[in-house]
Amino acid sequence: MMNSLSFDLPREESVVSVKSTNGRGFTPEELAEDCVGKIISVSDTALPGIRDQARAFERHIEKTVAYYMRQAIQSDRTTVYNALIDAGHPQLAELIRRL
Amino acid sequence: MAFSGNFMCTSFKKELLSATHNFSTSGGDTFQIALYTNSASFNAATTAAPFGNSNNEVATSGTYTTGGPAGSTSTNSLTPSSSMPSSSGTTAFTDFADKTFTSATITARGALIYNSSAGAGSNTANCVLVLDFGSDKSSTSGDFKIVMPSPDASNALIRIA
Repeated sequence: MMNSLSFDLPREESVVSVKSTNGRGFTPEELAEDCVGKIISVSDTALPGIRDQARAFERHIEKTVAYYMRQAIQSDRTTVYNALIDAGHPQLAELIRRL
Repeated sequence: MAFSGNFMCTSFKKELLSATHNFSTSGGDTFQIALYTNSASFNAATTAAPFGNSNNEVATSGTYTTGGPAGSTSTNSLTPSSSMPSSSGTTAFTDFADKTFTSATITARGALIYNSSAGAGSNTANCVLVLDFGSDKSSTSGDFKIVMPSPDASNALIRIA
């Protein structure tokens, strides 16, 4: 019997997806959705009990990730605010703080 | 002339057998992505990424740079997913992290992933994959993000089963 390797891409179905924004960056919620997709995946054909439990866990993780992303943004703005104050740009610092 | 689906380049398969590509997270080759309009036409016979607007590559915008910028820190470089390559059961696989071009005005129909340091060389453009986005995707003064599949034996971009 001959051994064989297989590693072609599916020709027609999407392999990657593209997400884009206009005039803004991604929100924490949008990024959290992609993040969770990397952490948890469950097949549509999985046993219903397992699938539903995995999806519920997925939604919980997504909210948690989004929450901490928002915290990170706020924390980084504090750092930027103080850096701008130290550099003598109080008006710019205030602009950043109010974002 | 248009994108007609996803392809793993035949030249890439051949080059795998001559140890031209190294996907290791640490010390591996540099893989980059180039974006194209639907005027481009690629298939499994594509061997190297062509660059520039005359080859239907999208123009420089935001953090996307046309022309195959050199170096592993180029803004077009891809970051391997952690602990790649990996295996599960009898399937070996490797994948990349999502790639985002920021502050960019881009309209692209597809992309080529290529090895810019193949065989320990530099500024090469040895094609690995042709990716068809399915339709034109656009960003305007925003983020253009290519979401890679999950790095596992069922979904990863490159799987050998």
